[in-house]
Amino acid sequence: MNEDIVHLVRDVRQNPVENTRAAARLMSLLENHPARITELYAGLADWPEPLMVLGITGPPGAGKSTLVDQLIELYRKRHPLSRLGVIAVDPSSHASKGSVMGDRVRMMRHATDSHVFVRSLAARGHLGGLALGVRGVLRVMGLMQCQLILIETVGVGQSEMEVAEFADMVAIVLAPGQGDGIQLLKSGLMETGDVFVVNKADRDGATQLQSQLLSTLNLRASVADAGAPPPVCMTSALGGDGMDGFLDLLEVHCARSGDQWLTQRKQRFEQEVEQAVLQEAHRRLADMLRTSGIGSEGITRVLRGETTVNELATALLQLSARGKPPYNEGHVDERRP
Amino acid sequence: MKEDPDARPAVEQAKKQWEETAVANTVSRFPERRARFDTVSGDEVARLYTPQADADSSYLEKLGFPGEYPFTRGVQPTMYRGRLWTMRQYAGFSTAEESNKRYRYLLEQGSTGLSVAFDLPTQIGYDSDDPMARGEIGKVGVAISTVRGMEKLFDGIPLDKVSTSMTINSTAAILLAMYIVTAEKQGVPPHKLTGTIQNDILKEYIARGTYRFPPKPSLRLISDIFAYCTENVPRWNTISISGYHIREAGATAAQEIAFTLCDAICYVETAISAGLHVDQFAPRLAFFFACHTDLFEEVAKFRAARRLYARIMKERFGAKNPKSMMLRFHTQTGGVTLTAQQPDNNIVRVAIQSLAALLGGTQSLHTNSKDEALALPTEDAVCVALRTQQIMAHESGVANTIDPLGGSYFVEQLTDQLEAEAERYIRTIDDMGGMVTAIEQGWVQRQIEESAYRYGRSVEDKERIVVGVNEYQMGKEAEIETFSVPEETARKQIENLARTKAGRDRKKVAQALAAIEAAARGDDNLMPPIIDAVRVCASTGEICHSLQQVFGEYKENFN
Amino acid sequence: MTTAHPRARILIGKPGLDGHDRGAKYIVHILRDAGYEVVYTGIRRSPEEIVEAAIQEDVAAIGLSLLSGAHNELFRQVIDLLKARGAEDILVFGGGIIPASDIPGLHEMGMAAVFTPGSSAKEIIATVDRLLSVRQEV
Repeated sequence: MNEDIVHLVRDVRQNPVENTRAAARLMSLLENHPARITELYAGLADWPEPLMVLGITGPPGAGKSTLVDQLIELYRKRHPLSRLGVIAVDPSSHASKGSVMGDRVRMMRHATDSHVFVRSLAARGHLGGLALGVRGVLRVMGLMQCQLILIETVGVGQSEMEVAEFADMVAIVLAPGQGDGIQLLKSGLMETGDVFVVNKADRDGATQLQSQLLSTLNLRASVADAGAPPPVCMTSALGGDGMDGFLDLLEVHCARSGDQWLTQRKQRFEQEVEQAVLQEAHRRLADMLRTSGIGSEGITRVLRGETTVNELATALLQLSARGKPPYNEGHVDERRP
Repeated sequence: MKEDPDARPAVEQAKKQWEETAVANTVSRFPERRARFDTVSGDEVARLYTPQADADSSYLEKLGFPGEYPFTRGVQPTMYRGRLWTMRQYAGFSTAEESNKRYRYLLEQGSTGLSVAFDLPTQIGYDSDDPMARGEIGKVGVAISTVRGMEKLFDGIPLDKVSTSMTINSTAAILLAMYIVTAEKQGVPPHKLTGTIQNDILKEYIARGTYRFPPKPSLRLISDIFAYCTENVPRWNTISISGYHIREAGATAAQEIAFTLCDAICYVETAISAGLHVDQFAPRLAFFFACHTDLFEEVAKFRAARRLYARIMKERFGAKNPKSMMLRFHTQTGGVTLTAQQPDNNIVRVAIQSLAALLGGTQSLHTNSKDEALALPTEDAVCVALRTQQIMAHESGVANTIDPLGGSYFVEQLTDQLEAEAERYIRTIDDMGGMVTAIEQGWVQRQIEESAYRYGRSVEDKERIVVGVNEYQMGKEAEIETFSVPEETARKQIENLARTKAGRDRKKVAQALAAIEAAARGDDNLMPPIIDAVRVCASTGEICHSLQQVFGEYKENFN
Repeated sequence: MTTAHPRARILIGKPGLDGHDRGAKYIVHILRDAGYEVVYTGIRRSPEEIVEAAIQEDVAAIGLSLLSGAHNELFRQVIDLLKARGAEDILVFGGGIIPASDIPGLHEMGMAAVFTPGSSAKEIIATVDRLLSVRQEV
């Protein structure tokens, strides 16, 4: 298989159902070399986009994996022709850098469904807890024409915030009897959530958790004067209860905000490209500064008061405009600043 | 153990003195081999055990007498002096015909207890012709898809003269129904049948994996079996609550006790909510434990389990019949302790383990064969395993007295420790909301996984020595003969099944299956419709399929 | 303890109906300790499910654990499926209760390694490291 990004992209585009291998290889490539995502940017505007990217997060033990499994089942029933992508993020071991990724266990029944693509990612020590690879995997899933993409991650630390960066909507999944219910309610989770799910709703304490949630959310909404508070769903994912209501809610939001999401994604994406361009420019200028005479000599001249930072910068830009390749260190450039 | 109460504090003081002088002296010149000595499950073992402060006054309360509450020292007043334990060797063969031959042979040799192992598809509810059964037919036991197979299995064997133990769980109701119908054809009424079905679904979720339906409907099936048998098959042991597999999966000794008893608590609660009175069914509850090689820990484990169970049945469930409080159990020596390297060493391990089980007062015992780690055992290996028990019985003296290690300072303290540790686990699980919740959350599985990991690492790091594996290795290993299952088994089985299915009254089968589904949706006992279906040759797979329509399927929990 | 291939991805699964997962879970943990990213797919999986997951996860190797004696048939199915999907570069290793007499046949079938009971973590990691270093890396 040709490992070239261009070829992989073409293969995936041509036949997303058949070429799962190419898609998977492309995801690996981007995960291992995240900087290479910039190679995708050219022409990305006419890549297919998912209808919705949904982040699913919350404390361990809330039943996220079961919820995801049931959501996939229901979505597939409702939209038999649509493709679905799942990104499951698990933490990496600080000590060994390895990771145990077990989220698939709960959704293995979908493994042979050609319309469902699941990718597990290890956080790899990324600061926010979410993997660097998510960005690349997301793009490829979009290319594969996944209409709905789920990002499942454990909500501890700051990973919820990161999910919000990638997702159109974030669902926070809680369950009664987790002990730290109120603490959670006070943390940053409250701000990130667009919808809250009280799972294991058949358990003792579910209604209390629901009312605690509702009152906290209502209070915040009125204080912030932010309009309606985020909704709270009750599910018992193990038995499939409440799943229809949950998916209905998501689809309503999608219908309502779909265009807005596309615009936001476009903006985020334009920022990404801008960042990438600036980074590349910076890299080249930095290279030039180091290797041309301007750098080694010019900096000394600034310190001696013979020239200023601004003049030096202008000289650097002029040098770059002239397209001259960087010189080796020590080589004096005859075109004076 | 009669002691002067005023002398007791003196013992403590003297011990301290001894530690500060004689021990300190010796240790400064010859340090002990390790900083800490542990049982195989990780509990620290002290240098010396002396009478505890109130050891004497609590003898009657904590130990009592064999056959009397709290049964710490044994469940019968004469134990092996009255009757030796049952030597019941579990055996699995690939076809009903071969198993039948073996059973007839055993009966000729004077055995009255038969044991049936089923293949994985039968245990999980897939017929031999199901794609899910690929590669697994007849491998770990016999494949029984319809009552015809059961008839072949017991052809020429009078079911009113034998006791049959069937290792079957999620499909227990179906296989029991087939046994009942087979007996019926022989003219033997259900009330004359004796035997056991394992029927312990909770441990399947935890450690063994042959589950089919989710916990709640599975518990309903189990209480239906309890109720049906109490009425119609009163001499049948309807459940064998198992710790063996939990231990094999990596649990410590305390966890083995705790998780098994928590399963028991759940079953008792289920039966009570179904309207049964505890003294009606509890006397028929039986247990099944492992036995590992740390002899003293194992003996303490069995004693602690007996005492803890007795208290739970009396105090928590208000049982009045002493039979309801007796922990009667079968033991199997721990397969996971046996090594592939230097298999002859396993004979020694099994000998120590069986001694431990007998010192621990087991009612019946299965000893593993030396080639356990490699495959199903050969006849020779099985023979040595049986001889091990016979030597224990007749040459070791273990059967001469009851609870020989009772009163050992070490064993008594270890018994108390394990009981306390098990109780802590039970309380934790109670706080979580019970065993079903703990299982659904994956908590129990995680505990076991962690214990297994810790043990594995301790062997890798040579903190724990396993002879022949990480120490005392030998370069060249001898090839040993192992038993393998013949290839055409699967083909024959599928052919037989096809013939049976072709010869049925399809309409009757469909009606019977519909009746099962209807009963499953309601509250009626499922045994009668299952028996009816089995009689018209509905298959294991078909019946499970009907049940699954209502019950759904259980999905594994990880992390 | 770092591997020759830090962060290479491996999938561990149990094909067929055998539910004894102590060994498989242990392998998952020691591979993680050795720096691998391990996708665990649980018990009672069909060869189709395992292969499909392996392709989606783009793993370098699949580890199969089996104690029920069905290894000859089920390991073969996994290997054949990988070939059919054009993914035979994904290595397959296995372990469990496998008689020594079956091992040559398994190698011939295409198994890259077969571990017998009692194989130490060190041996297993060393073998996996070695196998993956021969394989092309992205």
